[in-house]
Amino acid sequence: MINRKLTVSHAPFWHDGDSLFQMNLNIMLAALPAVIFGILHFGGPAVGVLALSIASAMLWELLFNVVSKDPISIGDLEAAVIGLIFGMMLPATTPWWVVVTGTFVAVVVGKMIYGGIGTNPFNPALTGMAILMLSWPVFFDADAALVSYEFDYPALAPLAALKYQGIAALDQFAVSDLLMGKQVGAIGSTFGLGIILGGIYLILRGYIRWEISVSFIAGIILTAFIFHMGNPDKYAPAMFHLFSGYTLLGAFFLATENSSSPVNTIPMFIYGFMGGVMIILMRNVGVYADGTVLAILLINLVNPLVDTIRPKALGKGVNNA
Amino acid sequence: MIKRSFFALAQPTLEYDPLEPDPKTPEVIQSPDNLILLVNETLKSTKDTLFKKGDRVEKFERIRLYEDSTEYNVSPVAGTVQRIDIFADDFGNTITYLVIKKDKDQDSSSDQQSPAISPDIRSADGLLRNLPGAPPLKKLADPDLKLNTLVVTCTDDDLLCTTQQYLAKTELAHLKEGLGILKSMVSIPKICVAVPESLNIKNEFDSFQTFSISATYPEALPELVLKDHLNIIPVPGQTPEEQGVCFMSAEAVISIAKAYDQKTPVFEKLLTIIGKDGARTRIKATIGTPLRLIFNQLNIHINDMDRIVVGGPMRGSATFSIHHPLQPDMDMIMVQDRDIIPELSDSACVNCGKCVKICPAQIPVNLLVRYLAADQYEEAADGFDLESCIECGLCAYVCTARIPLFQYIRLGKHELSKLRADI
Repeated sequence: MINRKLTVSHAPFWHDGDSLFQMNLNIMLAALPAVIFGILHFGGPAVGVLALSIASAMLWELLFNVVSKDPISIGDLEAAVIGLIFGMMLPATTPWWVVVTGTFVAVVVGKMIYGGIGTNPFNPALTGMAILMLSWPVFFDADAALVSYEFDYPALAPLAALKYQGIAALDQFAVSDLLMGKQVGAIGSTFGLGIILGGIYLILRGYIRWEISVSFIAGIILTAFIFHMGNPDKYAPAMFHLFSGYTLLGAFFLATENSSSPVNTIPMFIYGFMGGVMIILMRNVGVYADGTVLAILLINLVNPLVDTIRPKALGKGVNNA
Repeated sequence: MIKRSFFALAQPTLEYDPLEPDPKTPEVIQSPDNLILLVNETLKSTKDTLFKKGDRVEKFERIRLYEDSTEYNVSPVAGTVQRIDIFADDFGNTITYLVIKKDKDQDSSSDQQSPAISPDIRSADGLLRNLPGAPPLKKLADPDLKLNTLVVTCTDDDLLCTTQQYLAKTELAHLKEGLGILKSMVSIPKICVAVPESLNIKNEFDSFQTFSISATYPEALPELVLKDHLNIIPVPGQTPEEQGVCFMSAEAVISIAKAYDQKTPVFEKLLTIIGKDGARTRIKATIGTPLRLIFNQLNIHINDMDRIVVGGPMRGSATFSIHHPLQPDMDMIMVQDRDIIPELSDSACVNCGKCVKICPAQIPVNLLVRYLAADQYEEAADGFDLESCIECGLCAYVCTARIPLFQYIRLGKHELSKLRADI
C-alpha cells in the first residue's frame, strides 16, 4: 500500500493573498510622493534623515528581537513604516542622534515593550515624536531648523506664524501654495497634494479605513469653520489648517495606524472626528502651534473605549423564545 | 484560489458556483475490492465486538460494534471483515473503521434480501441513516427535539461545489417523490425547499414553500437561512435542530426515494472533485471507496505534502490519508498542490479590521482572537460572541496577518463544550 505524507491543516484552504508585508509595503509606496518631493525640496540632508530613521528603526527592532529571544520580526516591514513616517515628520536638518533616539523611543518604547506588532496602544511614530518634542523642542522649530535654506516663498512655518504673529501673517500663504508644498516644514509633511494622493491610494487598496480619514478631515474643517465664523479676525480659515503642519499626514498616515485605531464603523467616525476637533482646539485655544501629535495620541487613548460601541452579534440581545 | 482584487475598498464577495448549463453525466468509479466503512462509535478495548477479523458480512447487513450499540453502518457488499481499528478525527474524537474485502462472486449473494423497510420513520432510521447525503433520520426520529420545520437544501454549502445543485436538477422526479415520502413519514408541520437563485426549479414544488438562496457566500449556511428566510434569530450555542429546524440535503431526500423504490438501501454517492488545476469533475462511487482509487481513475497524482480537502475551500477539513473512505456526507473533495498552499503565520492580530467588516455574524473577531489565543474560552463566549460564529471561514480568508482565525474559533467552541461538560 502506498502512503503519502499529506499536508494537514485547517479551513479555510484559501487565502485572499494579502499579508503584513504587502500592507506595509503599500503604505511605504503611498508615502513616496510626499517623500520624493521632500527630498527634491530639502536635498541631501533629507535623504540622510530618512535613511537613518528607517535603518535605525529596523535595527532597534532587530536588536530587541535578539535581546528578548523573539523571532526576528523586521521582515513584516512594520519597523520600516514607523521609521519612514517618523522621518517624514522631522525637519531635514535634524541631528543624527535625535533621529536615533527618536526611533528608539518609537520602536522600543512605543511598540516592542507592549509585545510587538499589533499590541501598541499608541501610534509608535507619534510616541517617539511626542517625547522628542517635549525633550528637545528646539529641533522641531521648522523656522530655526531650516534657517540656512533659501526659499522662493515665505520662509515661515505657517502654523508657527499664525500662533506668534496672528491672523495677519496668513496673507503670505495662499492655499494653493500650501497644497503644492510651498511651505516650510518637515520632510514629508509639506507636499499636501502628494499626501492626499497617497492617502487615496491606500483607501482604494483597502489598507487604511476611509471612515477615519474622512471623519478626521471633517472634524478639522467643521471645527475650524466654526471658530473662523465666530471670529474671523482671530482664527484662521479651515483650509489653512487642513493644508499646514502635520494635518494631512495625521489624516492619512497617523490616525489610521491599525493597532491604535478602532475597527467598528461608528467608533471610527467618532475617533476620526474627535481627532480633527482636538487638533483645532489645541491650535486655536491651546499653547501648541501644531497639536497634531498630541491630538492623535489623545484619540489613541480613547480608542479602546469608543471601540466598545459595536453591533450586536448574531443572536445576541434578542429574546427569541 | 480567488485572490484579493487590486482595489479592495469594497468587501470581496465570494459566490457559490452555479451549475453549468449542460452538465455532463458523472463518471462512475469502479467498486473497489476493499471497502472502508466507518461506525460512529468508539472501539472499547475491554469489550468484544460483534464482528471480528475474518467474519463474514452479508450485503445490506447492519454492522454494529456491540449488542447495545445504537450506531450502525450498512454493508454495501458481501465480504469478509479484514480489519477493525480506531479512526481519529480533527479534534481527537475516535470512531471505528472496518475494512471489508468484497467477495469475488457477488452474484450468489445478491439474492440476499434487504431487511424490510416500511415507510415509517423508526424503520427508516433503523436502516437508512448512511444513505448518500446522510439523511438526519436520527434527529427526525428523536421525539425530544420537537422539530417544527424541515428544510431541504438544494444548495451547496461551500464554494466550487455543485453536487446538490446537480442532483436537484437532474433527479427532480426522485426529489419530489422523496419529499412526498418524508411528508407522510414525519409529523413535522412545515417542510420547505431551499433552492439556489441560479437553479430554475423553484416552481416545481407546488405543495412546499420554497426559498430562493442568493449566490453570495455564505447565504446558504443554516444559520443564515434561519435568519433570512424563516425569521428565526439563531440562538448562540444552539444547533438549528435545538431550535426546531432540521436541515436535510437534496441528495438525502433523493436517496430515500430511491431506497423505497428499490426496497433496499442505496450506496452510490455523487461527489464533486476539484483537481490540482481547478478542473471540476463529478463522479459516482460506492460509499466506502478509498479516495486513492478515485484519484487513480481520474489521473490525479498525489505527491508528498499535497493537501486533500474533504469539503470545500472555506469549511472543509484536510485528511491525513489517501485511504480516507468516501462517506455519506461528503459532497466534495479538493486537491491542492503543495506549491499553492497558502502560508499561515503566528503573528499577533494587527487590528486592521477586515475580519470585523466581513463577518456575517458581526463578531468582534479582532478582540475574540486575543481571548482565544490566551485560552480564555468562557470570557470569549460571554463577552466576545464566540458562540455566535456560523463557521463560514471568511475571517481567516481575509486576515492580513494570516492568523488561523477559523481554527481558533472552532477549537474555542470545542474547548468550551468540554469545559461545560465538566461542570
